[in-house]
Amino acid sequence: MNGSPNSGSGCNFAPWSDPKEKPLIRFDAVTKKFGDFVAIDNLNLKIYEREFFALLGPSGCGKTTLMRMLAGFEQPTMGSIMMRQQHLTDIPPHRRPVNMMFQSYALFPHMSVEQNIAFGLKQEKRPKAEIKDRVEEMIALVQLQAFAKRKPHQLSGGQRQRVALARSLAKKPKLLLLDEPLGALDRKLREQTQFELMTIQEKLGTTFVIVTHDQEEAMTVASRIALMDQGKLVQVSTPREIYETPNSRYVADFLGDVNIIGGHILGPDDKEDDIVQLAWHEDYAPLRIRLPQPVSFPEKGTERWVAVRPEKVRITKEYPTDTHNILKGKVLDIAYTGNISTYHVETEDGQIIKSQEANLEHLHRRAITWDDEVYVHWRAGGCVLLER
Amino acid sequence: MRRFSFFNASALTLGFAFLYLPIVLLIIFSFNESRLVTVWGGFSTKWYSAVFANKGFMDAAWVTVRVGLVSATLATILGTMAALVLVRAGRFPGKTLFSGMVYAPLVMPEVITGLSLLLLFVSLDFDRGFWTVILAHVTFSMCYSAVVISSRLVTFDMSLEEAAMDLGASRMATFFQITVPIILPSIVSAWLLSFTLSLDDLVIASFTSGPGATTLPMKIYSQVRLGVTPEINALSTILVVLVSTGVIAASLLTKRREVQRRREERAAVAGG
Amino acid sequence: MSELSNITEGAGLMTNGQPDSPKTQRRMSLPKNWGRCLLILVPYIWLLVLFLVPFIIVVKISLSDTAIAMPPYVPTFAWSEGWTGFWNMISGWDLENFTWLMEDDLYWKSYLSSLEIAVVSSLLALLIGYPIAYSMARAPSEWRPTLLMLIILPFWTSFLIRVYAWIGILKKEGLLNMALMHLGIIDDPLTILNTDIAVYIGIVYSYLPFMVLPLYSSLEKMDDSLLEAATDLGCSPFKAFWLITVPLSMPGILAGCFLVFIPAVGEFVIPDLLGGSNTLMIGKTLWVEFFSNRDWPVASAVAVILLILLVVPIVLFQRQQEKQQEKGA
Repeated sequence: MNGSPNSGSGCNFAPWSDPKEKPLIRFDAVTKKFGDFVAIDNLNLKIYEREFFALLGPSGCGKTTLMRMLAGFEQPTMGSIMMRQQHLTDIPPHRRPVNMMFQSYALFPHMSVEQNIAFGLKQEKRPKAEIKDRVEEMIALVQLQAFAKRKPHQLSGGQRQRVALARSLAKKPKLLLLDEPLGALDRKLREQTQFELMTIQEKLGTTFVIVTHDQEEAMTVASRIALMDQGKLVQVSTPREIYETPNSRYVADFLGDVNIIGGHILGPDDKEDDIVQLAWHEDYAPLRIRLPQPVSFPEKGTERWVAVRPEKVRITKEYPTDTHNILKGKVLDIAYTGNISTYHVETEDGQIIKSQEANLEHLHRRAITWDDEVYVHWRAGGCVLLER
Repeated sequence: MRRFSFFNASALTLGFAFLYLPIVLLIIFSFNESRLVTVWGGFSTKWYSAVFANKGFMDAAWVTVRVGLVSATLATILGTMAALVLVRAGRFPGKTLFSGMVYAPLVMPEVITGLSLLLLFVSLDFDRGFWTVILAHVTFSMCYSAVVISSRLVTFDMSLEEAAMDLGASRMATFFQITVPIILPSIVSAWLLSFTLSLDDLVIASFTSGPGATTLPMKIYSQVRLGVTPEINALSTILVVLVSTGVIAASLLTKRREVQRRREERAAVAGG
Repeated sequence: MSELSNITEGAGLMTNGQPDSPKTQRRMSLPKNWGRCLLILVPYIWLLVLFLVPFIIVVKISLSDTAIAMPPYVPTFAWSEGWTGFWNMISGWDLENFTWLMEDDLYWKSYLSSLEIAVVSSLLALLIGYPIAYSMARAPSEWRPTLLMLIILPFWTSFLIRVYAWIGILKKEGLLNMALMHLGIIDDPLTILNTDIAVYIGIVYSYLPFMVLPLYSSLEKMDDSLLEAATDLGCSPFKAFWLITVPLSMPGILAGCFLVFIPAVGEFVIPDLLGGSNTLMIGKTLWVEFFSNRDWPVASAVAVILLILLVVPIVLFQRQQEKQQEKGA
């Protein structure tokens, strides 16, 4: 599930769960206002070294502002941003050990690839030989040896993206900010580049903070994802946690597709004591949700929601056995997207439940079609209970 | 591919004939042997020799070129600053007045600009001459420069400057290493515009100039009032040809670069 | 890089406790503001001294009286007299010059005829410029840059020379009369030079690029499919032109008319070289008042009133431009 090179490769990279670990970057009660508009609202956040940290959210949620504060282009209205022991807010952008890869790439149009990459090193007045070596190293890293003398307009989109990456890494920043780095690339190239980014990040050990509105991209590359909305962090977790155990309807809905049904807590299940029952309709049996072990049971009668991902909802014509939640309905619509089909099933009380099935056989042999009477069902462990 | 319709072709032909015929006739008659400007008396280049032999013309031309070079350079520097103030300096007390003062000279009748500057120089007891013309020309040309450069600055991609600062360049270094090279074409056109404005100006120079600083337009004007002469035709032809060649060459160069650039972009996308 | 290593080395010293209380961080870098002040002040002061102050002097002198002296007006202000001198100067001011302008119908007529000439020439320029701009916008796209340059090119060549070129054409024994007589259209030469007609021709000719450029830019932006939609919905091409093209090019029409009208009102060179002795235009009147009559106060008063006349169209023009920009943004 988790594609991050750090947490997925078995070396158990999780500094955020280690209380002894010191964060590289720490936001303390940071607020940023533009006039009356609150872009960042009293935000606290820790980012650890070697992390690939993704800021995810809809446009206008404040993720870009957060990144621009790290780069130094915006100053927080209140609160402080620390890098280790130093107030970052005291340092102007050109003195920060932070580099940024811009969404537009911002390649200097009057300079060649080499000159672009050398620009930051030249500002530090490094010796010529050292600059030359470093530039060559960076060009090799992004595999642009054949293009070193070219100007930005002589490069394709993917090549420009690599130059921008090489340029921002040339100074060995402590922290690299990537603002929608792959937004301008087409889908195929984007997927390929995601893996390249991860390889480079793992190789260099630099802390990456990426801003993106593409949830798949965030899931693929990040060690942790911070989902933002209206200037606040909604949830900060690993890709797996944020997808499997979202903390709110907003998070569940933002990441991927989800069915949400509201109801009231009825009490524990009589057979299995880690399953809670949720009354959602007076004429139907309560829904049953398995809770993660260390969670205390919510009080009877409190309002809760159940979220279940369409790929965890099965659809059959026969009444199923050996499952927890079964709803009867009629197929309203089928969305065929090649690899999978999504069935929109209207239950007897008018609720629409989406169910996804992999298309294992050719389409003409599909067993279920429009207006069929079907059962949709999912296991108690396949859904989550949400507080808000 | 679209083609010219009959109406479009004739409108353009008539329109450009109206615009260019007077100049073409002037050029043709500058090669007229006869002193009678409207009667063709055979081909001759004698009026050109007469122009170059005319010390009054040559002196005035030299004054004009010097005024033009100095005032265009100063106007471009001040115009760049004014453009930066307009586009980048944000709010400051008196900004409205400032932008008013930048845009007003563009629509101000020349007679008023000339008169007001003259009255200033008189009340300050300045000796009118070479430098007062330069001051006057800088003042109105800088406003044109400011407009040209600010329209480029408005579309400037700010992330380029941010990228430079992010990579460790100070504000100054960013300005001179990134901003100036990128907006250079607009600075060059501002300079060229200022230079031609200075070269062409009659009214303001007439007000602000003094003895010993007669510019070429002033000289031409005083001759023209006496009637059409072949020398003036020849002189005008020289000026028109010089300026047109410059403008056409510059625009062809820009166009060729653009074409080259587009070809390279296409190649890059195809190859990448 | 030293900064970076400081930060990383310092990390071990940090305790895991609560950070410093959140405090407002405001960085004020001195050099930046100092540079900004300089950047603002230099062009600001230049324009104040060489644009605004001269203007105030014009207003001041328009309130003074004519004198045979140098400078030819009283009262003047002597720095040595200090405040008393200043008060003496102010008390010497009056509106006599303006009363004079009201009473002498030469000035009234100059103003009115300037406005009339400017309005008529703007309309003529529109009539001539619209077909040109329209045809340019509909020309094959590879032709457009060339056509555009051909429109701009005259703007770079000397105004004076372009006006001068018409003298040889329009005068009694000039090229136009010769051609017309040769073709047998007329028997006697027409008197065109030194009449208002010559002034109209001169203004339209000189300012035509100012009309064509904004028209072209608004026509060029227009989406062809709008006309196709109109004809598809039953408009004849001519009607579609009136109902679609003309209204959509209105910003260009307005901008073009202002751009011709405003400079034409204060024009001096054209009426002086092409107009006759009875062509009254305010720019020429001001020039004569100043250089021939050496009446500086009256010339200043003429300038003040000319400016007041121009304020309305200039403000209207600015408004229209701003509205366009807002729409574009």
